[in-house]
Amino acid sequence: MRYSELQRKSFLEATARERAIGLTDEGSFTELAGPRDRMMSPHLPILGEAVSFDDGVVTGVGLVGEHPVFVISQEGKFIGGAVGEVHGAKMAGIFRLALTAYDHAAQEHPHDLERYRPAVVVSFETGGVRLHEANAGLLAHAEIMDLIQDTKGKVPVISLIGSKVGCFGGMGFVAAATDVILMSPQGRLGLTGPEVIEQEIGKEEFDASDKSLISRTTGGKHKYIMCDCNELVEDRIGAFRDALCGLLNRPYSSLCRCRRIGSYELVREQMALVRLAAQLNPSDSKDIWRYYGNAEPDLIPEMEVKEFLKTAHRRPREVE
Amino acid sequence: MQEMSTQTWNALRCDTAERLNAAAEILGDGKIVAAKDVTRLLEAVIHPGDKVNLEGNNQKQADFLAERLCRVNPKKVHGLHMVQSSIALDSHIKLFEKGIAEKIDFSYAGPQAGKLADAIQSGKVRLGDIHTYLELFGRYFIDLIPRVALVAAYQADRDGNLYTGSNTEDTPVIVEATKFKQGIVIAQVNEIVERVPRVDIPADWVDFVVPSPKPFYLEPLFTRDPALITESQILRAMMALKGIYAEYGVQTVNHGIGFDTAAIELLLPTYGEELGLKGKICSAFALNPHPTLIPAIESGWVKNIHCFGGELGMEQYVRERSDVFFIGPDGSPRSNRTYAQIAGHYAVDMFIGGTLQIDEDGNSSTATARRIAGFGGAPNMGCDPKGRRHASPAWLQCGEENGQREALVGRMPRGKRLVVQLQETFREKMAPGFVERLDAWNLMENAGLSIPPVMIYGDDLTHIVTEEGIAYLHRCRSIEERRAAIRAVAGFTPVGLKANPSETRLLRDRGIVKTPRDLGIDPARASRGLLAAQNVRDLVRWSGGLYQPPGKFKNW
Repeated sequence: MRYSELQRKSFLEATARERAIGLTDEGSFTELAGPRDRMMSPHLPILGEAVSFDDGVVTGVGLVGEHPVFVISQEGKFIGGAVGEVHGAKMAGIFRLALTAYDHAAQEHPHDLERYRPAVVVSFETGGVRLHEANAGLLAHAEIMDLIQDTKGKVPVISLIGSKVGCFGGMGFVAAATDVILMSPQGRLGLTGPEVIEQEIGKEEFDASDKSLISRTTGGKHKYIMCDCNELVEDRIGAFRDALCGLLNRPYSSLCRCRRIGSYELVREQMALVRLAAQLNPSDSKDIWRYYGNAEPDLIPEMEVKEFLKTAHRRPREVE
Repeated sequence: MQEMSTQTWNALRCDTAERLNAAAEILGDGKIVAAKDVTRLLEAVIHPGDKVNLEGNNQKQADFLAERLCRVNPKKVHGLHMVQSSIALDSHIKLFEKGIAEKIDFSYAGPQAGKLADAIQSGKVRLGDIHTYLELFGRYFIDLIPRVALVAAYQADRDGNLYTGSNTEDTPVIVEATKFKQGIVIAQVNEIVERVPRVDIPADWVDFVVPSPKPFYLEPLFTRDPALITESQILRAMMALKGIYAEYGVQTVNHGIGFDTAAIELLLPTYGEELGLKGKICSAFALNPHPTLIPAIESGWVKNIHCFGGELGMEQYVRERSDVFFIGPDGSPRSNRTYAQIAGHYAVDMFIGGTLQIDEDGNSSTATARRIAGFGGAPNMGCDPKGRRHASPAWLQCGEENGQREALVGRMPRGKRLVVQLQETFREKMAPGFVERLDAWNLMENAGLSIPPVMIYGDDLTHIVTEEGIAYLHRCRSIEERRAAIRAVAGFTPVGLKANPSETRLLRDRGIVKTPRDLGIDPARASRGLLAAQNVRDLVRWSGGLYQPPGKFKNW
């Protein structure tokens, strides 16, 4: 597919590889530990399960302007994008490369670091740990969380969420720990997935077959109103790329201010939300949208992105 | 002479009067019965061993009455012989577990197919026969005449006139068979109104009306989310459009339920347009209001659609397209299943749909070893109607090509219905779509059926479409040739592995088997971008906001 077509393509419909190629500058993406290297799960064959030559994640490096951008792009079509040992190791490897690249950039361009600063971009499509190799998967989560801490003050980590599986389970935590989150309305972000909530607490609590409910609870528009995601974009690879370019043009310090956790003040802000939830006892996200000043919450799901961004009222941030 | 004068000719009428009196003694006069009194009403009017019809099909369900029937005292009411279109609810099985009913004749068992098989094996259910809808409706007038019918309607007035609206479905045929043989008709309604918008069932055919505490359950059975259509389905849809719809100029069609046919519907305004087929194919359907047909309707492909039932979310859209759908003077459709089934049986040139398994002889079945799914209406569409006497170009061409016609009717011209199965060689969980022995045989043994439940018999099947190619089975001159043609498109399944390449080559030369390349189709073009709508939201946009999908399908 031509690069220009790729930019117009739905992010939701795109494969992990298409996303990785389309997010970086034309012709700049190099895949590392790709399918030709055949780094496959050692655990799946023992269980009689099919393997994938990339273990369900595309990793590599490309450019956005002068910034080396280290990309992790998960593929939901392979075991729901779940993180196994190799998948997790490839993710961790990308963070390490980005940190090494930062050291180089700091040495080579000490006065022009803003321009040459590397970034990590994660296009999430995952339900978290791969149950077939759960210990290795969990360890990978911990390792990545650690590496995200190592990036602080050096490399921005940017999450993109707009693929079919969404971003759930342990990877929901990982996304929350990154600096910036971009979503499309089709993106889904949460910890416990809808099916698991229904299974554990019952259909009265959460009807996982009600897609509209899932969208209102975990979808991009809700996360945008709640300031759980920083920017909302249309469902096109090009729209995600434009937003990414915009972010990388901003000073690193402004990206750090996008974080939702990571300081005492931010934790206090989150705890205030917990108190508010207990006080409001909302029966639906629409109650909260109304609380934050959206007079006609029924119209919000129907709105196109442009109109929504123009009219939506968001939760006021306490920490700027 | 003496003997003749003592003979009574109105025993049924007297028996009914006695039952109605018994009900009146408990509940007083009047047709409207409160929900809390329904169980006592049922105990008064239903006698042990009665044939009872419980309305429900693959869409609307008389669910409240079914649930109340489960609450009757099995000492008073037992041994019932249920005659009903579908076994869809938990309560349908519970009747047997509680010893209220003992035998069933039916047509379709969707979600309860597994439980039904278990209940038969454990001896709780005595199975009569599994029918097609029309076949069962026919028997309502011959040897399965209901004594009591429990039906569902949207509204009733105080006299008992019923409005069944866009989900009229089976109600008319059940009520007529019951009432005209002196039986008793009880209707659950969502609400009582001063004046119904239209009288679908006249009041004097209805004995009791029960306002139901909850609206009747309606399943959005025919909605397919375009977001879930695969490229393999798109490839088969492209092949079907070029190799069958275009090849025969098929104008009148019934589509089976499923993603394969949804893909075809969504390719009409794109790939169909590109092939220049607009106006030449697909102008009339016997079909439920499939949301995936909206883009084709909006692009002017479809002249008319007659529906078997309604579809949740499509009400407004259908109302606003009265040139296309059948709409009553009150503004809403009726969707009488009997008429739609007749139309689907006699008046369409092609049935096309998916299946679970096809055997080496071309018999296909949706049965698995432990689930009795039944037939619904599919076999009436998926067959060559032997009573058909009108001609059309597609029907004539298919008959003209029939390799066995001369052996059967000599030189007499006779057409043939196109019966097409779309099949993925390997289905979900890598289950082969072609098998040496249908699971239907195991089901026959497990459930004690007299014959394996076959959805479409090999002699009716004219085409199989797989990602490997199209087999034009009716062009074959013998069963051996048909088997070879089936093998040729069966891919890497146990059946397909028996294919002999030189034999297949010969069949391709004779136009009995065509690969995508033979059809001039590049499989690389089969991408989701070709769909006129890629998700449910696109369908809403195409409909100008008239289609209002239920929450289950509305992912925004």
